Order: sequence, then structure tokens, then C-alpha cells
Amino acid sequence: MRQVTGLTSTYSSDEFGICSALFELGGLVVMHDASGCNSTYTTHDEPRWYDMDSMVYISAVSEIEAIMGDDDKLIRDVVSAARELKPRFTALIGAPIPYMIGTDLPAVAGIVEEETGIPSIGFPANGMGLYTKGISMALAAVTERFAQGETGRSREPSMNVIGLTPLDFSLNGTAESIWRWAEALGFRRGACMAMGSSLDEISRAGEAHVNLVVSYGGLEAARILERRYGTPWIAGVPFGKAFAERLGQLVLEAAGTGGREMAAYRSVPRAGAAGRDPAPNPARDAARGKESPLLVVGESVYSASFAAAVELELNIPTRVLCPVDTEDVLLREGDRRTPEEDDLIEAFRGAERVAADPLFRQLVPETAEFFDLPHEAFSGRIYDRVNRNMVDVPLDGFIFGGTKAPRGKGPRG
Amino acid sequence: MLKLAIYGKGGIGKSTTTGNLAAAFAVLGKRVIQIGCDPKADSTINLLGGTPAVSVMDYMREHDEEPERLDEIAKEGFGGVLCIETGGPTPGLGCAGRGIITTFSLLEDLELFETRDPDVVLYDVLGDVVCGGFAAPIREGYAEDILIVTSGEKMALYAANNICQAVKNFEDRGYASVKGIILNRRNVENEREKVEAFAAERGLPILADIPRSDDIIRFEDEGKTVIEGGPDLPVSRIYLNLARRLLADEEGQKGQDT
Repeated sequence: MRQVTGLTSTYSSDEFGICSALFELGGLVVMHDASGCNSTYTTHDEPRWYDMDSMVYISAVSEIEAIMGDDDKLIRDVVSAARELKPRFTALIGAPIPYMIGTDLPAVAGIVEEETGIPSIGFPANGMGLYTKGISMALAAVTERFAQGETGRSREPSMNVIGLTPLDFSLNGTAESIWRWAEALGFRRGACMAMGSSLDEISRAGEAHVNLVVSYGGLEAARILERRYGTPWIAGVPFGKAFAERLGQLVLEAAGTGGREMAAYRSVPRAGAAGRDPAPNPARDAARGKESPLLVVGESVYSASFAAAVELELNIPTRVLCPVDTEDVLLREGDRRTPEEDDLIEAFRGAERVAADPLFRQLVPETAEFFDLPHEAFSGRIYDRVNRNMVDVPLDGFIFGGTKAPRGKGPRG
Repeated sequence: MLKLAIYGKGGIGKSTTTGNLAAAFAVLGKRVIQIGCDPKADSTINLLGGTPAVSVMDYMREHDEEPERLDEIAKEGFGGVLCIETGGPTPGLGCAGRGIITTFSLLEDLELFETRDPDVVLYDVLGDVVCGGFAAPIREGYAEDILIVTSGEKMALYAANNICQAVKNFEDRGYASVKGIILNRRNVENEREKVEAFAAERGLPILADIPRSDDIIRFEDEGKTVIEGGPDLPVSRIYLNLARRLLADEEGQKGQDT
């Protein structure tokens, strides 16, 4: 059945993707909807909520305001809050109610900006799109609006990381590991969109020599920087030793020549291809004996990078199943989009090995090996205890190290 | 690109006016798109020989997903006019206004303007500006000018006033503005005077004065606009002159802008 999720969970929404991407940037972020959205976001989708201040609010639109289309109250409230809180920008985010009554949030944001002089952005989200779309909209808007003006390249080679949010990467040290990997390649830290960087740092994103796109959410922002500053982008997350090296080479080449835009894993030959014969390993060889590939489920750049790392390092065939927004340029040939729960049920039929968020176990045959890859945008904080920084986890230890658990015996199972 | 939204009371002749105007622009050699924004989905029927296009809402109802190609929801009619209908929900259910907004964002996703590169886009909008969805055609990026179709009848002028008021409410949002009135005669007493008084009070010109015409009705019965059926008829010349005037105004505007 289409658009029905009966056995698992749903991914975080576009509204929360926007909130997550803007969380650290000093803006006044207002979800325009009845009360409830904010507590869902802060409870399930925002691990930074209790440790970091951020001006994320809900407008608490009432029934009569919705019927009357009373935008004036929203404008008055936002203008008043903005004058008091003096944010760097205001962001007005659509949700189901404004979506249904057709509120023109970009126009409302224009009025707020006119009245306050504070840059204001209206996002036509609706709470029904996926977080991936929200992150993409938010990072693209911030880049479009703030990363502009003439700028030269930094003297030392530098890199921006784009598309990094806790929804895809949690707070398990992955962000820091990616930076350490970049620094080891000789790059100075540029801007991170959007964990650990200020809006001022993002406004200087044009200085970087290369952009590392670590999720679909960062792709559009990277394209804007490519158009505006000619900055090349490479998509990938440095998982595993061999793939991290390959990604590093591509990033260095792109930073040097300034002319490469691609997902690093797309050029990785499929496992079993001639010319690659890793050192003997009995556990791995037993795993290779299985006929069907390891199915990796999740966000496209994360999952395809992980899959490519497994193929390069362990020579185990993989296929990525991507249930969220992506583009063909971010998938390898043979990988699939699986937007419906039914698509996944079909894809899992006969599967022998699956790496996915633990909530997907319900769909996987009991005979299959299951490897936990918790995904904050899907299961929130439920699996925090086993949500590991996969950049630092040795891949063979993960695949053969016994982290798998049969259905019903998960961390909270 | 000339982008016009045609508003007016239900049944006043908006679709007839829009279809004839689209045909007139096409006869003048322009690439035209007409988008009907009415759940009845009959705005473009006289450009299509009486066979309506599949509306966007009907497509989505049938397929339960958005179309991936423009040709699934757009059909070329007389003079190459590209005809699109938003359509709407089953009468009495759902939200027709939302249907218009959804259609517009879909057309944006399908890159309608980029791929067709039209000279003229006409939005034929149901009745009054009753909710947010019916204001969508005048939002930034869509129509730039509004034409209000009215007769001298009291309720038609009442609706025309509501439209002017709605547009005024949006003046701080960068929306379209009212360009003028099209008088579509119903042969009421002192009709021209009544509409002139209405227009003068709001500082609006009467851009065209269209007589009640049996020719229009006759050709509509054949699934045609009067421009197609009788291009030399006096009423056709009125539509053609209106089209020329609108194009000339746009040229003049372009000249001022540069």
C-alpha cells in the first residue's frame, strides 16, 4: 500500500529537518502550526535541545486564526520576538495547517524583514515531506542568503563540510572524526553546515577549496557554492580505511584542480570485480560465500559511503536501499530508492544480511543477519546506546564482530 | 513574459474571455499557456474542440502520485495554446484552493516556464478570492497583472469589489495588481455607466467592452472560441484588440524598465 507505514516508524519531517539545520546559527526559528510540533522535535529529533540554547519556537496557531488566515498575528508575534531577541535572521517554517490554508510564508517573511530589518526566510514546508528535503531547503537558503559577496580562496587549503546534522550523524563524535580526517589530509577547517559553525563562518564558505557533501541535505547548498564561487564538491563520508583514503584522494584532487563534482563512491567497482583480492580472512570469506548482497538502508550519501567502504575493504557485495529524498547522482548503479514500506518488505525478501536502523528489523526475515545502524531521523534517541561513530569503527569488527542481534533482542528489546 | 490572472464573479464569462484572449494571442503569433484554476476544469475546453484536458487533480486521484512529465497533464489546443486545468476535489469535499497551490508547485517542479518559454501565461481563476488558494495565481512569480471581468449587474460588481479589496490586502507582499476591467455585457440598463463609475472610483481603466454575442455562444456549442470560429467577426476584433493592447503595454513597460 502506498504512503502507509504499518510495521515500522516514519522518518523525521521536513519542518524538523529545517530546525535541525538552523539550530546552531543564531536565528529565530518559528514553526507555524498548532502546539505540538515543537515538543515532537525537541523530544525525538533534537539531541542538542538540553545542552545548547537555540531560539526555536512554535507559533501556536489557533483554529480561528487558521479559518481567518490571520497572518497579521504571526507577523506581530515574530516582529515582537525578533525585536526582543535580536536574532541573526528569522525563519518561518510551514507545517500542516499553513499548508492546507495556503499561507504564503515567503511573503510573510518579506513583511517581517521589512518591519525589523532582520533577514527573514519563509520555508514552504508542510510537515509531510521528509527531513532530508527540510535540511536541503534550509542549507540552500542559508547559503543563498548569507554566503555571498566577493571572497578569495583561503591561503591554506580548506574544506567545508555540508549536510551534517544530528538527524543523520547523531552526537556520537562522527562530526569530529570527519574533521580529524580532513585535517590529516592537510585541510584547514572551513564552515560546517551546520554543526559547530557560526553564521559568520558560513558566510565565508566561498573561501574553501572544496566542499565535502556528507548527505543529500548538503547537495543543493554545494551546488550554489559551485555556481557562485566555482568550488568543487565531492560527496562521501570517510568510512573504513580504504574508502576514506579514496575519498581523501578525490577531495585533494578536486581542491587542487577545482573541477570535480561527484559522489566518491560512484567510481568504486562492485565487490567481486577483478583486480581486488584482500588478504585472507575466514570470517569474511564465510560471509562472502552468501549469495545475496548486504543491504544497507538509510540516507543516500551515508549508506552508499558505508556500502562502498564494505565493498572496498571486505569485498562483500552490497546494495543500498534509500527510503528518503535523494538524487541519482548520489546513488551507485544498482542502488535503489525505496520510498514505501512495501518497497522495503519486497527488497528484504530473501535477504541474508541487512545493515539498517534497528526498527527495520520487523521487516527482515528472521534468518537474516542484522547489523544495527541506528539513524536518529528514524528512531530518535531509542538506540543511542548502540549508535556508534562509524567513521572510527573498524569495518571488519562491525561486520564480523558480533554486533548483530536477532529480532526482538535489540538494546531495549 | 506577460502573465495575467483573470478574476470575476462565477458565471460572468471569465473562461470565455480567457479562452478567446488566449486564442487571440496565439493568432498574433505568441506562445501561450492557459491554466484553468477551477474545480470544474472547463476553462480551456473551447481551445480543445470541446474535449477537456485531464486535470492535475484528476490525474493525481487516478494515479495516486504526481505526474512526472508535463504531457501527462497538458494538452495543446487551438493555435498551439498549451492548456492545463488544476481541477479539484469531488464537489462538497476536500479543498479546491489547496488543489491550486499543489498544481502550481507541481508545474514549478516540472519546469513549465523554463521548458515552454511562453510569451503569455493566462490564469483563469474561479470566482472570488475566497481563500488562500485562490490568491495563489497572484503571488510573486505567477501573474503580474489582474484583469477583472464584470458586467453591470450588482452582484458582479460586488464580486469585483471583493477582488479589488483582496488585492489591496496583499499590497505589502509584492503580489500582482489590478490592471483593469473587462466589461462583459449582460445588457442591463445603463451598463457602461455603472461599470465606468465602478472603475473610476478605483482608478482603473476599462480595457475592453465585449458585447453580448450569439456568435460566442454558437461557437462554444461547437467547442471553439469565436476567434477560431469567426476571426473576422466584430467581437473577435475586440478580443484581438485587447490582446494587442496588453502586449503593447507590456512592451512599453519593458521599455521603461530598461
